[in-house]
Amino acid sequence: MSTDEIRANVKKSIAKITSISFDEIPDHASYKDDLQLDSLTILEIAVDAEYQFQVKLSDDDLGEIRTVDDTVRMVQQYLTPVAA
Amino acid sequence: MIANRVVVTGVGVISPLGDTPARLHDSLCRGLSAIKPIKLFSTAGLGCPLGGEISDFDATKYLGQRNLRPLDRTSRLVTSAAQLALDNAGWSIEMRNDQEVGLVLGTMFCSVHTISEFDRRALEAGPAYASPMDFSNTVINAAAGQTAIVHNLREVNTTISTGVTSGLEAISYATERIRSGRARALLAGGADELCFESFYGFDRAGLLCRSDNSAGDFPIPFDKRRNGSALGEGAALLMLEDVALARERGAKILGEVVGHGSSYDCSRGRESGQSIDAIASAVRQAMNDAFLLPHEIDCVSASANGSQTGDRHEAEGIRAALNGQTHKLPVTAIKSMLGETLGASGPMQAVALLETMRSGILPGILQLNEVDEDFPLELAQSDNQEADVINGLINSIGFDGHCCSLILSRGEA
Amino acid sequence: MDRRIVITGIGVVTPIGIGCEQFWTNLLEGKSGIAPVKSFDTSAYHVHRGAEVKEFDAEQYVLNLDAAHLGRASQFAIAAARLALADAGVEIGSLDRKRAGVSMGTTSGEPREVERFDDAYVSKNMDRIGPEFLELYPCHVIAAHVASELNFAGVNTMIPTACAAGNYAIAHALDVMRAGRADLMLAGGSDAFSRITFTGFARLGAVAPEICQPFDRFRKGMIPGEGAGVLVLEPLDRARRRGARIYAEVAGYGLSCDAHHMTAAHPEGAGAERAMRHALADSCTNPEDIDYISAHGTGTATNDRLETIAVKRLFRDEAYRIPISSIKSMIGHTMGAASAIEAAVCALAVFNERIPPTINLNDPDPECDLDYVPNFARKLRVNVAMNNAYAFGGNNASLILRKRELLN
Repeated sequence: MSTDEIRANVKKSIAKITSISFDEIPDHASYKDDLQLDSLTILEIAVDAEYQFQVKLSDDDLGEIRTVDDTVRMVQQYLTPVAA
Repeated sequence: MIANRVVVTGVGVISPLGDTPARLHDSLCRGLSAIKPIKLFSTAGLGCPLGGEISDFDATKYLGQRNLRPLDRTSRLVTSAAQLALDNAGWSIEMRNDQEVGLVLGTMFCSVHTISEFDRRALEAGPAYASPMDFSNTVINAAAGQTAIVHNLREVNTTISTGVTSGLEAISYATERIRSGRARALLAGGADELCFESFYGFDRAGLLCRSDNSAGDFPIPFDKRRNGSALGEGAALLMLEDVALARERGAKILGEVVGHGSSYDCSRGRESGQSIDAIASAVRQAMNDAFLLPHEIDCVSASANGSQTGDRHEAEGIRAALNGQTHKLPVTAIKSMLGETLGASGPMQAVALLETMRSGILPGILQLNEVDEDFPLELAQSDNQEADVINGLINSIGFDGHCCSLILSRGEA
Repeated sequence: MDRRIVITGIGVVTPIGIGCEQFWTNLLEGKSGIAPVKSFDTSAYHVHRGAEVKEFDAEQYVLNLDAAHLGRASQFAIAAARLALADAGVEIGSLDRKRAGVSMGTTSGEPREVERFDDAYVSKNMDRIGPEFLELYPCHVIAAHVASELNFAGVNTMIPTACAAGNYAIAHALDVMRAGRADLMLAGGSDAFSRITFTGFARLGAVAPEICQPFDRFRKGMIPGEGAGVLVLEPLDRARRRGARIYAEVAGYGLSCDAHHMTAAHPEGAGAERAMRHALADSCTNPEDIDYISAHGTGTATNDRLETIAVKRLFRDEAYRIPISSIKSMIGHTMGAASAIEAAVCALAVFNERIPPTINLNDPDPECDLDYVPNFARKLRVNVAMNNAYAFGGNNASLILRKRELLN
């Protein structure tokens, strides 16, 4: 899946959970500074992304998520199969 | 220590029959019924397809455009009713910065729908995909907590859960806090939402009315044909203040809470003698608390909801507490139209009673036609009645033991 | 009506013992009730430990109702109630039942019943859920079942204010008695271990993998638990007349609401501080009168830090003098029962002149630099104890207990 597709899906999650319209979510938004989201909402978005993509982030990973880019990067990391 | 007097300075109500006290009262007086086929969830396989659902409930109408995802239905009902009550009482945000306002909320189930949804998603998708936001709403004080956040209510925040009596018990709890000087201004009332998870319990327990009733599938309190209640939903909050504060800020006084009482029927409705005694005990305590004698009660808003035994126990309990002086006592039972709204029921009865005090009209009991033998409440009838109510008694009686009574007095002119 | 209300009986059901003697002994010895979860399969979770009550035989305590038709939290509540009444030496039959009441707190009510419902729903087997379901799952049944079991026909209230519920319930019982509406109240809290609660805290990343280490630098979170605590409250004059043992006076309480966030406390501990202040004022106590604090101390990074800030802001220099322990280090977080069990601990501390430790405290967090009674119990004369509890929804509650010798 391309980065753009992952980003679009993450933004759809954000829109669903926060009621911020999809088009108003900057591609590289900071959850706290740009979107004024609290920790529970940020966690909800991360879990929704995990659910959408059927990946499981570790608690440490979850703690690192601050921006849309972080979410996209982590999903990508877990979606990419590890080379043998 | 002299107790502070507790007055009502505002009201907020969200119900299927109106979201202002006047609209609700008008609907009740016109004999409109909230009981209709349920759309919120499927009733396939259940015995009763009807409920008092609030169609098209949209909290943004009351809260403005904002993200409502963190709030479930019960939280939205309460937060909306709180907005209406605060506005109605003239408690602005600026005022709440200077004088803290609290919230005492009665609810039987609060978020059982959210609890179930949270659990089912974890079961079906695995616990790693459970929703953190839903989890924060699985605690039974969630609606009260959410409402405090939205409206900055930093005085006491308590949730009371005593089944059907929850809302009236919440008003009693708040009354005591203001009487004792622990608080000066509290929103108090109750809420419960209509959902499959609570509906199923009532349906399976055989408490809901059935379609073999010649009056249709409707709850008819006190009627000989009654065979159950219908579940409803809603939220109702009263703004309670100590009278000195209300006068200081020039608030209008809609009424006064003058007495309350409660008891528990250990037989849980199964032994008539005990049940009647428990109801009478709650009523007597309320009258003693209000320093009122039986003949000073001008009307009763009964808890009766169409239950075969419950309605009869209540009628007998009222008779016993009032020493048989019930022939000239106007009685209403608004659950005939709203259904059984559980935690919201008592506060909704309070809202309607305040309107009766203002308008002089007590709504009739919808479809009441013929009562049981030796029924003691002669003025329980289907027509509206003119009633000059100075002191009104409200009962909340649970199907499983809790009994609560509240007495309101008419506000200052 | 005597407005001084005292504790004459204590009953507890905990992960380290049932009944106050066994519990208190194990507590002082620093025993832990934390172990691999047994009540459901945790293989799909990333954490696997909890504080469950072991070897609980409901039939021993539920004598009038049918234990098989009660949820676990109700069974615990009845057991703790009976233990408390026996501890108080109360003859149940001699009470005026209309003036005997129950005030209980809980976080989840009977979640296992909801879980059963959900299991049936998901497997499309709703026939498994019968007519008795309505009597099992709404949370008010806990207080109701205690009353039905004991034939108490007075005030009956359930206050489900999550992890502070026990304190709220005890505070309410105090007010009911002071208003003259009861001669005896059973007050406390109960919660049963549940998959719903475990899943939720695990999903929030709040659950520690091994042990609960409140105030330690390496603390990793809380450990969900279960249990019940019930106190017998009576007016002082009645207690004296019947020669009852008096553990302590319930001197006062304070409640507040953060109105900040559903799962995170106010970042400066403001709500917690207000609750403590109100409690001191309500009980006419000064900060320097407090000899011991039972902390909320869940073991999460945030709670322990914010709780320390709140104590320091209120008590200033005195904060460094007052020993503070978290028994959650031993029994985990018993939810709605927690502050009730902790209130019992305060009463026992006042009566026995001993305070329990915070175990697993080996490397204190520099931001938590108060005396948290690390690892070993202590002898201490406790005239006045404070019990703090903080909950989801921003509900905060502090309770003050005072030695009977200070009552004139």
